[in-house]
Amino acid sequence: MIGNDIIDLRLACQESNWQRKGYLGKIFTAAEQEMIHQAVTPSDMVWLLWSCKEAAYKIVNRISNIRVYNPIKFDCSLSGQQEQSITGKIYHAAKSYSFISHRSQHCIHTIAVAHEIFFDSLDIYTGHDWPLHLLDKCALMKNQDGIPYMMNCYSHSPLPVSISHHGEYYGVVKNRIQV
Amino acid sequence: MDKETLIAQLKEIVKPYAKDQEAWQQINENTDFVKDLKINSANLVDVILDVEEQFNIVIDNEAMEHMLNVKSAIEIIEAKLGGQ
Repeated sequence: MIGNDIIDLRLACQESNWQRKGYLGKIFTAAEQEMIHQAVTPSDMVWLLWSCKEAAYKIVNRISNIRVYNPIKFDCSLSGQQEQSITGKIYHAAKSYSFISHRSQHCIHTIAVAHEIFFDSLDIYTGHDWPLHLLDKCALMKNQDGIPYMMNCYSHSPLPVSISHHGEYYGVVKNRIQV
Repeated sequence: MDKETLIAQLKEIVKPYAKDQEAWQQINENTDFVKDLKINSANLVDVILDVEEQFNIVIDNEAMEHMLNVKSAIEIIEAKLGGQ
């Protein structure tokens, strides 16, 4: 299971005032708020943590088919940083999800998976244009709950895909097709 | 407060965050904040904070989980106002 979330940082800065009174407390745990206040760039930490929660929510929602708005119940912790990538875990309802978050100048793209071994078998796209090449030989569909998947035109087998769009950026993550 | 008044107040609250203006014009009890009005999930917090301020209520985490559409928002506001 995969989930991804992309944030256009310039748009986020226009759309949201996270410094508004009460804002952080509604969606972030006490530990996460501390991470934000301690960060070199607090707004980057806000959107990193938010994208983690959204990416993990997409996995949970794909399984449960239940829509809820409970970001505070997704508890994020960071474990490593390498150049422009940050890794860590998201805990929710006694389960944990691994994430990797890639940072470019104006964009944060976070991918969550049920287990970190799945990172090796993913096709990850981050960019300004809709990634036609990733969807080659496949038809993009949505099930009755609006959850996207791809149908392989040869094998007719469904393949989960996670799609995210914000401002100028698209993020698409899918399992690599085994040949 | 009757339902029409509540919906009218909610309509004004969500106005800055709704990206689908046509759906916003036609807001009603069955309108979904995310699917219909295309409010982004980071702005749902603003809707919740605005509702708290406007009605002078506190929306706890449990109630917040359901703040995804007009119908649930009305139920939550009515319950909180009734409980005061």
